[in-house]
Amino acid sequence: MPAGRQIAAIIKKDIIAELRTKEMVVSMLLFILLIMVAFRSAFGELGDISDFAGGLLWIAFLFTSLLGLNRSFVHEKDESCLEGLLLSPVDRPNIFFGKMLGNLIFLSAVELVAIPLYIALFNLTIKGSIPLFIAAVLLSNIGICTIGTLLSTISINTKLRDMLLPLIFLPLSSPLLIAAVVTTNKIMNGAAGQAFEPAVGAIKLLLAYDIIFLLLAYALYDFVIGE
Amino acid sequence: MKKAITALLFAGGALLLTGLALAFLVAPMAVNQKGVEIFSQKIFYFHVPVSETSLLAFVLGAVFGAMFLVNKNPKYDFLSLAAVEIGFVFGLLVEWTGVIWTRAEWGVWWTWEPRLTSYFILMLMYAGYFVLRSSVNEESAKARFSAVYSIVAAVNAPLTFFAIRLIPSVHPVVFDSSGAHMEASMLAAFLVSMSGMLIFSTALLLLRYQLQTAREELDYLKNEFGG
Repeated sequence: MPAGRQIAAIIKKDIIAELRTKEMVVSMLLFILLIMVAFRSAFGELGDISDFAGGLLWIAFLFTSLLGLNRSFVHEKDESCLEGLLLSPVDRPNIFFGKMLGNLIFLSAVELVAIPLYIALFNLTIKGSIPLFIAAVLLSNIGICTIGTLLSTISINTKLRDMLLPLIFLPLSSPLLIAAVVTTNKIMNGAAGQAFEPAVGAIKLLLAYDIIFLLLAYALYDFVIGE
Repeated sequence: MKKAITALLFAGGALLLTGLALAFLVAPMAVNQKGVEIFSQKIFYFHVPVSETSLLAFVLGAVFGAMFLVNKNPKYDFLSLAAVEIGFVFGLLVEWTGVIWTRAEWGVWWTWEPRLTSYFILMLMYAGYFVLRSSVNEESAKARFSAVYSIVAAVNAPLTFFAIRLIPSVHPVVFDSSGAHMEASMLAAFLVSMSGMLIFSTALLLLRYQLQTAREELDYLKNEFGG
């Protein structure tokens, strides 16, 4: 079976499982709404949060992605699906790409609902270019899902299981978080010219991060998933 | 091996003491732009060698990690662990001396100064390494996961430093692409400290490696004769 079809088969399996149970996307969405309530309680008195709205958005997304990343492998491990996947004639890096793209689809789907809600609930506007905003969000999502899928495969095979993932995922994703926050803040505030410079650097960093970790995960996944 | 380690420890220790003596007795006082002497600059002869050594140790940890993944020889796992441990301890020293300097120079114990922040994230990242190691029972999986993590973390470190640069810094820059901005006697004191630190940490690395090998041997004997 060609690599593309192997990856597509894994993604299809994850989507079907999710459509039947709906537990991952629904819990991620509810979690984001709860974080928004927490933001409202913490920053409500300020009234206008547009100066750091991008930062808050990424706090919500990063913690929400943790829920999904953990869930995506807990299933596989508990139902012994991982053994099945390993026994099937699928190349191991393709398992990684399948799981990673599945996570990317779920995270992006949740964000597709959450971002308009966030903008409406906090009276925000995206003053800069919306396509650029979407591109920045997508690039950050790819980074989150790449490093997240690699690390959640490790964490699920340890004694601490899902407890370990935040401890190793959050520090490793910090360059991503910083770059995503800088970019989205600048775009949302409509920065232009000299003021937009840091965002250009940040987008380049996002790109570099995605490429480097995709290659690294491709090379290392064989060692992570088991002998 | 034992004799070599002792010799390295003494050589490194002697160079470190010489470096300190040179820093306080020979190197002139640094002067700021207003012509005021700054005594707190003396920490530079300790702070910078420690930080360079810790970064080098982390890189070494990743190199040994990669060698383990290629050869599957537990020797490289021990070496990788030893290197990361030394990097971590030296990293704590960097934070500590950095905090002392910020206190002396800026009057605060901590500022979210970019480089201090990068190091802080780096420390959290490698703290995760030790949590990961302690949460895996099976030796081969422990070694594999740690090797992968040490590589991912070492690749992530420069990205973190770069990401933090997106926020402007007030950290003094001594070395840049045009060379070292200091007097010859200052450079001499620095280089002596630096080489002392490198030799001393090499000795520590070998010592730690020997300890780990002895521990493995003890475990083996216990299992063999302990019943």
